Amino acid sequence: MSGDVNRQLSHMSEASSCYSDGNSSEDMDEDIDQYYMDTTDDLDLDCPSKTDDPEYFEYEPLQVMDAERLLNEEIEALCTKLKVSPSMAKMLLLRHNWQKEEIIENYQKDPSGFLIDSHLTSRRKHDNLIGPRPMCSVCCVNYPRDRFHGVTCGHMFCQDCWDMHFQTQIQDGITTAIECMAKECPVLVTEDFVCEVLTQPKLRDKYSKFSFNDLIKSHPKLRFCPGVDCAVIIKAKESKAKKVECQTCKASFCFRCGISYHAPTECDVIKRWLTKCEDDSETANYISAHTKDCPRCHVCIEKNGGCNHMQCPECKYDFCWMCLGDWKSHGSEYYECSRYKENPNIANESVHVQAREALKKYLFYYERWENHAKSLQLEETTTSKITTRTQEKVMNNQGTWIDWQYLLRAAALLKKCRYTLQYTYPYAYYMDKGSRKVLFEYQQAQLEAEVENLSWKVERAEITDRGDLENQMDVAEKRRQTLLKDFLEV
Amino acid sequence: MTTPARRRLMRDFKRLQEDPPSGVSGAPSDNNIMLWNAVIFGPHDTPFEDGTFKLTIEFTEEYPNKPPTVRFISKMFHPNVYADGSICLDILQNRWSPTYDVSAILTSIQSLLHDPNPNSPANNEAAQLYRENRREYEKKVAAIVQESWNDDDDEGEEDEEEEESKAGS
Ligand SMILES: [Zn+2]
Ligand SMILES: [Zn+2]
Ligand SMILES: [Zn+2]
Ligand SMILES: [Zn+2]
Ligand SMILES: [Zn+2]
Ligand SMILES: [Zn+2]
Repeated sequence: MSGDVNRQLSHMSEASSCYSDGNSSEDMDEDIDQYYMDTTDDLDLDCPSKTDDPEYFEYEPLQVMDAERLLNEEIEALCTKLKVSPSMAKMLLLRHNWQKEEIIENYQKDPSGFLIDSHLTSRRKHDNLIGPRPMCSVCCVNYPRDRFHGVTCGHMFCQDCWDMHFQTQIQDGITTAIECMAKECPVLVTEDFVCEVLTQPKLRDKYSKFSFNDLIKSHPKLRFCPGVDCAVIIKAKESKAKKVECQTCKASFCFRCGISYHAPTECDVIKRWLTKCEDDSETANYISAHTKDCPRCHVCIEKNGGCNHMQCPECKYDFCWMCLGDWKSHGSEYYECSRYKENPNIANESVHVQAREALKKYLFYYERWENHAKSLQLEETTTSKITTRTQEKVMNNQGTWIDWQYLLRAAALLKKCRYTLQYTYPYAYYMDKGSRKVLFEYQQAQLEAEVENLSWKVERAEITDRGDLENQMDVAEKRRQTLLKDFLEV
Repeated sequence: MTTPARRRLMRDFKRLQEDPPSGVSGAPSDNNIMLWNAVIFGPHDTPFEDGTFKLTIEFTEEYPNKPPTVRFISKMFHPNVYADGSICLDILQNRWSPTYDVSAILTSIQSLLHDPNPNSPANNEAAQLYRENRREYEKKVAAIVQESWNDDDDEGEEDEEEEESKAGS
């Protein structure tokens, strides 16, 4: 099937010129078309090719047991290398994000200095016990010396006080970060000591559970699946902001930060954007309208599909839902709707005007971000409609499931493209002015146009010619990949 | 009933009486060892000099593994004291150590009056004046020093004062 698609690649430039209002292609467009032509790799959605797909990412799911084994192997290797206790090795790896080479190098250069910096010992060995029956400075009770214990810093406290200290900390979920009880002593308490002192077996279990979580969280190549009640741990070759899909719970997320996948936007940028949207939710609320008036005949139109290319049921006027402009101006050659036009004179304006302009700019991007999110929801309905109708057709002997599979593939691809498109808006919002932004917005506009074309055709899938639809799929996916290739950090 | 927390608080009280630090005093309330009343005298050579500032200290059974809740009852104007009298001080939060006792807590708060930390402001106005307009800052502090005496003189007489101590217990 993908062979068909590849062969149809050669028709692609004609396909895109269908939407250019007959204007001749500009140089840039030709370059980009050429760019597409050079990449003739497999387009199969589920199994992207390694060399060419900017989103390609190698990872595997682990069960808790496998992950434990993996961590233990790394811990043991470090123990042997440095001749330190397993508890100490574990702490070193955790504190230094499992950078084994770096740990070994620094430790061998200056063992005590490195342990001091890692909060695993102190510069001098303290001695806070006086006389044969010293007083514990936490509970203020005198005990024989053998009741006192401590870690490498030398601060000694009675067994009961350590036990109480560990209980309180573990109840609060603190395990690998438990410190010595002495004031201003940052020395960490290692697992062997905690388990030796703890009297309640239940808390010992809690300790190992919480500390396992800390170990995984500190490991750059492991991440807990964020799916609800999912115990899977994802192991990746590298710590990258790439998409992971959990086979167990179907959650999909960014490997590096764990939230919803957000290419081409970076982890810290999407966090900033989401925080901003939350903070400004009131200002942006008025946007959530589902109805607008037709710009020509003013009849009230409800948006019930995902496509932004609207056609008025009354006067048949084709217009854009986002900007209410003529849809003809939204061909792939000339798609201005996704680009925010900044006031060129803004630096000389008053603070008041600047603030208003800043809000206007934010709302522009927010509106498009939000609109794609809504379209994604609406297109879910389209997908289920397609499924139902396909079922009917198969029942009525109008072809087999396989014959109609391309409709579902088209809907899935549309979803994927629109998802990426949604996440181009936070990216653009935080981008600095310049030629890179110009290129980004150009590619964004191209993708925007092709996604809306695809959406239009998917909504009318049965009356659209199959070849035409598959061409459109191909064009849209290529636009998406081009944008990611140029702007997704690899 | 005696618990580790109560036993330790008795020790704290004994130590405070035997070895009283200068400029602070404190004692458990009459019928509850988990609730203390304390006074910090404004340190010399600071705008707080001559003030007598009252505080309450509330302990839980997790003391000394967890810090107590300390709060000014007297009106305070200080970069690290919130409007409700609670105090932003690292040893009362993340830098707490079970080896701190009441005496250490009170002397730490006293030195906070000496050296405010305008970088973690609990009172923005105080922090800003402290940084930018020291004269105005001192004027505002002088006003609450005056008020702290009124607290003392009219103890139990003023309705407001009574209300406050009820709320605190
Ligand atoms: Zn003790
Ligand atoms: Zn220590
Ligand atoms: Zn999962
Ligand atoms: Zn991320
Ligand atoms: Zn109309
Ligand atoms: Zn538009």
